[in-house]
Amino acid sequence: MTDLNPRKLLLNAYVYAVLFFILAPIVVILPMAFSETDYLTFPPEGFTFDWFGAFFGNSRWMKATTFSLQIAVLTAITTCVIATMSTYALMRGAGRLGALFQGLLIAPIVVPHIALAVALYLFFRQTGLSSTITGYVLAHSVIAMPFAVFTIAAALSSVDATLEDAAMSCGASRFAAFRLVTLPIILPNVLSGGLFAFILSFDEPVISFFLAGIRDKTLPRMMFDDIEQNLTPIIPAIAVLLTGISIFVLVAAALLRRMADSRRTVSPEA
Amino acid sequence: MVEERRVAGTTAGAAPGAEISIRGLDKSFGTLKAVDDVSIEIPSGEFLALLGPSGSGKSTVLMMMAGFEVPTGGQILIDGQDCTRLPPQKRNIGMVFQHYSLFPHMTVLDNVAFPLKMRGVGRAERRRRAGQALEVVRLSGYGDRMPAQMSGGQRQRVALARAIVYEPRLLLMDEPLSALDKNLREEMQLEIKRLHVELGITVVFVTHDQGEALTMADRIAILRGGQIQQISPARELYERPANLFAAGFIGEMNMIPANWDGSCLMLGQGERILPPESAFVSQPVQGSTTLAIRPERLGVVPAGTPGAVRANLTEIVYAGAGTLIIARLDDGTEVRARVPSAGLPPLSAGERIGLTLPPEAMLVYGEIAA
Repeated sequence: MTDLNPRKLLLNAYVYAVLFFILAPIVVILPMAFSETDYLTFPPEGFTFDWFGAFFGNSRWMKATTFSLQIAVLTAITTCVIATMSTYALMRGAGRLGALFQGLLIAPIVVPHIALAVALYLFFRQTGLSSTITGYVLAHSVIAMPFAVFTIAAALSSVDATLEDAAMSCGASRFAAFRLVTLPIILPNVLSGGLFAFILSFDEPVISFFLAGIRDKTLPRMMFDDIEQNLTPIIPAIAVLLTGISIFVLVAAALLRRMADSRRTVSPEA
Repeated sequence: MVEERRVAGTTAGAAPGAEISIRGLDKSFGTLKAVDDVSIEIPSGEFLALLGPSGSGKSTVLMMMAGFEVPTGGQILIDGQDCTRLPPQKRNIGMVFQHYSLFPHMTVLDNVAFPLKMRGVGRAERRRRAGQALEVVRLSGYGDRMPAQMSGGQRQRVALARAIVYEPRLLLMDEPLSALDKNLREEMQLEIKRLHVELGITVVFVTHDQGEALTMADRIAILRGGQIQQISPARELYERPANLFAAGFIGEMNMIPANWDGSCLMLGQGERILPPESAFVSQPVQGSTTLAIRPERLGVVPAGTPGAVRANLTEIVYAGAGTLIIARLDDGTEVRARVPSAGLPPLSAGERIGLTLPPEAMLVYGEIAA
């Protein structure tokens, strides 16, 4: 309506400026991956896929990638399961500690990751979880939990609670009612939460920095080391791959949520 | 087909409807007593309506019968078996919810077949019986649709089909028609009634709509504040309400304050009325009582007619076949009469008239109207 409103124009300009400053470095770094030089340069000189080859051909990089993938997949699964259970308990349960529990689940969004990292470092060193897959998965799940909880809560709030009563009156046990009725309806959001968790875990640097041992390093941790030591275009090459994966996963998550919305179009009154 | 279904059912030979015995049922939420010492005996095959204003505890009683609420006291027996603490999925009860509660991610056929799936019935048999149940609610051919593609009335039929598909002996309905518009509601009332007759199962139906209760139920239980006020067939409920609440809750009722002196009733304006013995619903002690009479039982006569109660005519509402006469007694009590328009003398507001009270229509309560 008020497209010519100067305040709105100014706001739009501001938003685009912010986006530009955030995205410009990415736009700059990505082409560097194809440079024929063995140092970083912009604009890139020549064009080659050699640095991708170097990445895939190097066993240390591959080991770190596999390690990160393992952690990310396990984090995604753990987060899905725990977030679904917690959100269900929060929204359908009658517990008196609901508010406290919700606070605990969501706190990792507020607490700086560095503080969490230090705390986990001290705790894991005592319990022998440092630089183990279990340690990483636990730490990353804690970080990913709020995002998954929000995604699942959005779905669960639109599912009529009497659906499970109806299922039980049809002879389903309480768990069967959840598994056959509620879960299928919210499943796209659960999976979307899992994908978020995967991405968060896969390129999480701060906690990995503290938990990493000498041998088992995650991909972001390896990248740090490489930046400090040689800084070749292998780094932008990995950045290209990570960006691609992130975009793919986030688009998948968005599609899943859209699918979920269309599944839940039956409002009880309509 | 119905006969065949009954024989094929799990309860071959027995009556298709469950016998329910509710004994001294209590339910408290904190300090609030939602249900207070409710006892109802429901014979096999009866259609019972639980009627009451919101907060009367009618839904809580139903939820306890279904197993979603655990009573704080009392017992619920279904066919002699104590079900008070049995979880809902073990009660073999069909239930229809207020907002249908169809599973939105399943087709209509899968919705209806769900209870059979839970009972381990094979896929082919499931589809056959679900199709049959859809036929009973006149929705054959709709099996492949999703609930979102159905209208409100159709969804309620699907919910009904899902509730009866495994041939339960008891069907519970929680205000199932309140979300439908008036025409659809009346159509569904007849539909449910037809199903009840056809299947012969016991039905307990919660509603706050007295018309619905009168139309559908064999007996009606009126609840207020968690307590049963009266359980009677529709006609008795209307013609002889057990107390003033029931009297006022069902239909229109004139409630005239009067004084009982042990032998006759004295109205505020001095007329003496001698009600027959049968008019005393509750035996009044000497003092304040209430004389109740339905508006359509009153007659309008010229003022001064012997035996008639004097009143001031305040309003005449002509409505074709009938006319509503609104009059006031000298003590301010409003009295309404619904009389046939034919043969009514010309009347105008402000006129003195006489009201005749046929003795057989009088009801006397030993309580004062609120």
